Amino acid sequence: MTRHLHALVLLAGLAAPGVGGAQTVQNATLRRAQQAYDNLEYRQVVSLARAALRERLTGPERARAYELLGFTYGALDSILKAVDAFKQVVLIDPERQLDPNRVSPKAYSAFDVALRQVLLVRQLRVDSASFVGGRGAVPIRFTVTQPARVVTRAIGGGSYVIDSGAWNGQVNLSWPARLANGDPVPAGNYTVVVEARLGQNTFSAAQPIRVSHGSVDTLQALTSLPGYQYLPETEVPPQSWRPLGLAFLYTGGALIGTLGLESSSLGSSSKRELAVVGGAALVTGFVMTLRKPAPRPAAANILYNRLLRDQIARRNQDIAKENVARRQQVQLTLVPLPKPSAGPR
Amino acid sequence: MSRAAAGVALLVLAAPAAAAQRVSVIVGPQFALASYREVASGLRYQGTGFGGAVSARYRKLSAEAGVVRLTLDPAAGSAATSGFTATEVNAWVAYDVATYASVEAGFIRRTADPEFDAQSVGAVRLGARSFYEIGPGATVLFRANYLAAPKFSGGGHARFSIDLGLGLDVRLAGRLHGTAGYTFQRINRKTDPGGTGEIDAPIQGTEARVGLAIAL
Repeated sequence: MTRHLHALVLLAGLAAPGVGGAQTVQNATLRRAQQAYDNLEYRQVVSLARAALRERLTGPERARAYELLGFTYGALDSILKAVDAFKQVVLIDPERQLDPNRVSPKAYSAFDVALRQVLLVRQLRVDSASFVGGRGAVPIRFTVTQPARVVTRAIGGGSYVIDSGAWNGQVNLSWPARLANGDPVPAGNYTVVVEARLGQNTFSAAQPIRVSHGSVDTLQALTSLPGYQYLPETEVPPQSWRPLGLAFLYTGGALIGTLGLESSSLGSSSKRELAVVGGAALVTGFVMTLRKPAPRPAAANILYNRLLRDQIARRNQDIAKENVARRQQVQLTLVPLPKPSAGPR
Repeated sequence: MSRAAAGVALLVLAAPAAAAQRVSVIVGPQFALASYREVASGLRYQGTGFGGAVSARYRKLSAEAGVVRLTLDPAAGSAATSGFTATEVNAWVAYDVATYASVEAGFIRRTADPEFDAQSVGAVRLGARSFYEIGPGATVLFRANYLAAPKFSGGGHARFSIDLGLGLDVRLAGRLHGTAGYTFQRINRKTDPGGTGEIDAPIQGTEARVGLAIAL
């Protein structure tokens, strides 16, 4: 069902190009001309469309009348007349486009020739953009149908020349939105005006935009580096008999020294003093063996943490410098505004 | 005011300054046991006494001093007929040459009362010590000192004099420390009474000190 509907719409498009425009047609003569075109009565289309053009028509109706003439002359192989009719169409509606898949090749080529014989600025587009002042630009695109001297301006609080040059065809410009002294253009509403001049012929197109200023986001200071974490600077060694062993060693040293140095003539000295202190040392060693060992500095971890802290400090210094610069910058946001609705021509 | 009270007052006053300079000071009283032999195996004494010790450390420098007053009585089977009182003062200044070792110098002075009941001795200490923290707040110490240029109240000289020590310092709770120290002393004194020829008059003593101390 959906396929059938699509096919029907396609056929209708081929048979009656610009059917959408027929909905706004108020003029009775023009409606009859459209009807005659739908019935393939081309001679009648020509007389009716010309009659309608002599009447009072709105801009779209006038464009529609010339478009019917263009298609009809194309169908009648009167290419020059078709071109003339299409020239009138694009002069009234410069943005008019024909779909090459929906119109006859003769009509399309006549339309294309007409476009190249008239000086137009078409398809002016200003893209949305947001950038730090001085570090970006807003893209501006348009098409000039004939080689011409083209001046592009932004007109708002003042008039700023964006570009001036000889162009033909598709033109891509970028506007940094800066004044001559490097400052960003003041915030506000502007109109990008593209004016093409070729001899005595001129044509211009316009697109309103809004320029707003904002502060540039500053960077947060780092407290850690992603993927890198501080390591504990102390480690608890595994429990061991070392404390008791050391107590034995030191007490044994004192005992051996005492025994070895005792005078033979004075006899063996009292050992109760050594027993008291040595016993206390051994008991202390035994208790310390049973206790959880004291945490000791982990040299490798301390070194690693120091390197990490140094790295973070260096990064934060860079961030601080960057933030100082960012606080002096302006975030420019340019947004195209809808064009004011075109009144009757 | 007694000298001891004046000393304690001075330490208390000096404590905040010491803490500000990151100087660790430990001071406290000690109970002592001692045995003493002189000249011959028959002349031996044993006794007890009280004293005090103070030690301080600033980075690699450390100092230690102690005074003890011992009442020594003739031991069982001794040929001595009466006892005497000995007052011993020791002091050291040490410098750490490694994580567990330091060299030290100081002096010893032991006086006897009555004066002629035992030899009074004074000498310079030169030596080294090793210390190791065997657990949280527990340190053992072993010391060997050569007693240089000894002087005796009864005259004479000693070419070989040595002093060995074992020490223990345990932090019991907070600032309260338990301290213990052992000293073995051997002095090969030789004397020439009346010009009749040099004879051996060795001195040998052991001493144990146990006490409590406060870290300032």
